[in-house]
Amino acid sequence: MYGRKACQLVKELASGEKGQLTPYNSDLFDQVIAECSQHHLELQSLIRKMQEEGLDVQTTRNADHYGALIHHLSLVRNKRCLMAYMYNRAEIIRSLIWKVGPVLPQQIQEKLSHTEEEYFKKHSGALQSYMSRLDLDLTVDMVPPKDPYIQVRVLDDIGVVLSDDKTTNFACHSMHFLKRTDAEQFISRGLMEELTG
Amino acid sequence: MAKYYDIDDIITDEEIVAVIFQKAASGVGIDPSSETDCVEVGSKVELPFWLAHELQQRQAVSMNIPTSFNQNTRLEIQADSACVDLRSQCPYFYEFGCKIAPLVGARNIGPLLLSAFKSRYKEVLTKAHTAAFTAASKNLTILTKEETNLYEAAQSSMAAFKKWRMGGPRFQKASILGRKRKSNE
Repeated sequence: MYGRKACQLVKELASGEKGQLTPYNSDLFDQVIAECSQHHLELQSLIRKMQEEGLDVQTTRNADHYGALIHHLSLVRNKRCLMAYMYNRAEIIRSLIWKVGPVLPQQIQEKLSHTEEEYFKKHSGALQSYMSRLDLDLTVDMVPPKDPYIQVRVLDDIGVVLSDDKTTNFACHSMHFLKRTDAEQFISRGLMEELTG
Repeated sequence: MAKYYDIDDIITDEEIVAVIFQKAASGVGIDPSSETDCVEVGSKVELPFWLAHELQQRQAVSMNIPTSFNQNTRLEIQADSACVDLRSQCPYFYEFGCKIAPLVGARNIGPLLLSAFKSRYKEVLTKAHTAAFTAASKNLTILTKEETNLYEAAQSSMAAFKKWRMGGPRFQKASILGRKRKSNE
């Protein structure tokens, strides 16, 4: 049935959990594009046939007209599915920078297509330059903290990190007393967890 | 066009409707019973809603009432609406019902949707607030997509309320990274 593949593509988006990214399905995407070109060819040949019979394409309502109409509608439908697929993924990608920061972890990066990676880089670049012009980090927590320092436990081997003017060794399972803004990035990437007393 | 990019709306439009062709159409392979790639007048074909809807507007087909809204379903819903497996009937029962009701000229679909939703909504809400997270999965399988959304909204509001009362860590791992470890909630 026409449009089935395109809908499969959209269903793939819906089947994942909300806000989760599914791997980019370039295979199915290309298949839908191929289906579109097929529709286009058949649409053209039907129109040409009507023209050869000397009929007015605008007003005739014969079998060929309805055939062409069905192809046209399928094209429009496929386009909508493809657009929705890209649009909804782009929305998630834009939200990534707010959630995980400008560096993407491996597990997300492999789900993106090449152009999407490019998009993410440019988007985060634009945001960075905006923030540097404002001289304000907009990605930090919106709620003012009660205490500028928090206690964290390291969940993964991060290694030696330079922050402010001192270096700290974040070995696995070690506990630290850190500035909130420094810890935030590690927590959102799942490398540390906040300890509440 | 407000819902152009809406995933749920797109999937709703994919529901199958049985139509009868009033006009012939050539050069299309949508009728599996036909040997040539032509559709004759009067042939009965199952089409996705997005195609059937557009064709009906141009008087090329006439639509039948889908099976999810026939007499059987009606009787089932009247008997005990909370236990009917609406998801297997039609995962977007309400949305699709709203779309199809004006097109097939069935006046009784509207009241059917309303009565089904009213009685099931109560059920969904109480279960979302009381059932433990593990016991909930059984109830979820018979809910339509719209009801599942409501159910999840109710649960997340409960979780947010608990968090507000008990307090908890302010920062959490970004949900997009998936849950490898069990959160200690």
